[in-house]
Amino acid sequence: MIRAAWAVGRKEWVDALRDRRTLAVVLLSAVALGPLLLFVLSLLVADLEARAEERTLLAVGMADAPTLHNYLARQAWTVQPAPPDHEAALLRRSLGQPVLVVPPGFERDLADGLAPTLRLLSASSNPRAERAAGAVLRLLQGFGQEQATLRLALRGVPVAVLQAVQVDEQDLADPQVRAAQFTRMLPFFVLMAVLYGAMHAALDTTAGERERGSLEPLLMTPVPRGAIVLGKWGAVAGVGMAVALLACLSFLPGQWLLRSETLAAMFQFGAREAALFLALLLPLAAMLSALMMAVAIRCRSFKEAQANNTLVVLGASLLPMVTVLNPAGEQPWQLWLPALAQATLMQRVLEGQALGAADLLLPLAVAAAGTAACLAYVARQLRASALT
Amino acid sequence: MIVAEGLSKRFASGFGRGRRVVDAVRGVDFQAADAAITGLLGANGAGKTTTLRMVAGLLVPDGGHVAIAGIDVARQPQAAQARLGVLSDARGLYPRLTARENIVYHGRLHGLDERAAAARADALGTTLGLGALLDRRTEGFSQGERMKTALARALVHDPSHIILDEPTNGLDVVATRALREVLRRLRDEQGKCIVLATHIMQEVERLCDHVVVVAGGRTVADGSVAALRARAGEADFEAAFVRLAYGDAAAAGETNA
Repeated sequence: MIRAAWAVGRKEWVDALRDRRTLAVVLLSAVALGPLLLFVLSLLVADLEARAEERTLLAVGMADAPTLHNYLARQAWTVQPAPPDHEAALLRRSLGQPVLVVPPGFERDLADGLAPTLRLLSASSNPRAERAAGAVLRLLQGFGQEQATLRLALRGVPVAVLQAVQVDEQDLADPQVRAAQFTRMLPFFVLMAVLYGAMHAALDTTAGERERGSLEPLLMTPVPRGAIVLGKWGAVAGVGMAVALLACLSFLPGQWLLRSETLAAMFQFGAREAALFLALLLPLAAMLSALMMAVAIRCRSFKEAQANNTLVVLGASLLPMVTVLNPAGEQPWQLWLPALAQATLMQRVLEGQALGAADLLLPLAVAAAGTAACLAYVARQLRASALT
Repeated sequence: MIVAEGLSKRFASGFGRGRRVVDAVRGVDFQAADAAITGLLGANGAGKTTTLRMVAGLLVPDGGHVAIAGIDVARQPQAAQARLGVLSDARGLYPRLTARENIVYHGRLHGLDERAAAARADALGTTLGLGALLDRRTEGFSQGERMKTALARALVHDPSHIILDEPTNGLDVVATRALREVLRRLRDEQGKCIVLATHIMQEVERLCDHVVVVAGGRTVADGSVAALRARAGEADFEAAFVRLAYGDAAAAGETNA
């Protein structure tokens, strides 16, 4: 049995390795995945950082408000005139900043104590402008407070009366957790790489075998069906695991490409993280391989198997979304679902949290049970030999 | 020696009202002797392929039983399959492997070690005239080259019993003649028990020692070519086949037309 399974596995492995074009695409995408993702993410973060440091305000009619202009200059902001079509640009999202509209006669009204109205234009459909609007709003409130304080001080009221409470903002998230907000998508992409890596081999060894007409001769050899299934699965899972290994290792040199210094300081992916990722991904690769084979074994053609396996891809790509979309944080049941469990735990690894043995063992047990069930199903299908 | 007795097989597809039941085989009996070529002759859809699949242990018959060299296929399918070399109508090869690798792979699955399987591949390559093809990948092989490789694969474990389903399908005259020669040599020099399913009269006339006529899923006649001609009272074997398979009315219709 073992000898026959080994012979089947070796042949499927050689067959998969000879499929150079598919293999090149799969491996290249796995190897390029880490560096590419990190590079794009770091560009994004660097852009956000640059925007946060950039203190420019787009305004209309600032010439009418020298006091406000003076305050802004003291806060180290520079004022630039807004483009004439700023309203349309905000709606188009081509303008990433809010626009301040100063009414005519602002200075005079301010001096007369008439509380003139400043308009801050933004659009809730424009996330970049919305985010920047918060900072501008705080800036303008600062101006209002300064004016009020000055007026009270002129009337002899101590400033401390106005500040019954003092607020000291502190960010408790440590750098790794903050970075993990940006790297939230990484586990998802690694999962997809493993899934797509194993897919071609899984379909080729099952539906492809039937389509080629080589399944029937194979079933007429005196090899037990279990050995055939085991050998095929071994080769497919091997491809999936190789992709997982390459994808994990590619993050190590990938860190050199980080363009954002903050992200580089926060994103820590060393040997420990790579090992934990692998410990999570290898059982998953084994299970996904078995699952895709189980879905494909009844199909008469590679194409049909591809269509049916869209369900597996859909499930494996939607489940990890729970971690991205779920604001309530991690739930205990998440560790029972394959793909979701791995995404959740990989996220934890990236956040620098500890993983207990139970955290690793539960998904492992689920994956082992799933693999066994799928392989038993494939073997039964072969035994029933629906070859008509 | 292959003995098939009272074989029957029914296929069902669909559910509820759309359910369709087809009786593919309704009582096929035949005996194939050692050192002889037995022809299973029938029209398309007569049940030849289903019968051979049951003989090869790929399908479990609904009724009847098959014995290969005295081994009951239903009870010991693996022992029976080990004695059987089958060239079925599905004769797909692995396109990314060479012909030799395709053959050796099946040798390994039949329990040969690497060296023995490689030696068999070489020997069969010579017998079947594969020559330089052995070390070429099978993608882009012609029909004849494919058939030869598939036949070598089926014979790699030197089985005492050989089953061929429409082996000359898609072959040209030269390849067909070469195949006939190979089969004769396997019979005469190695005493193999060969069963051949076909609908081509010529092939049966030139090759088979014993003919089993199958029609509508049943065995309707058997004997040597000469005996069948005599039984039908026709000098032409094709006419004899039509009379035996479809009765006198069909044979008369053909004559009148």
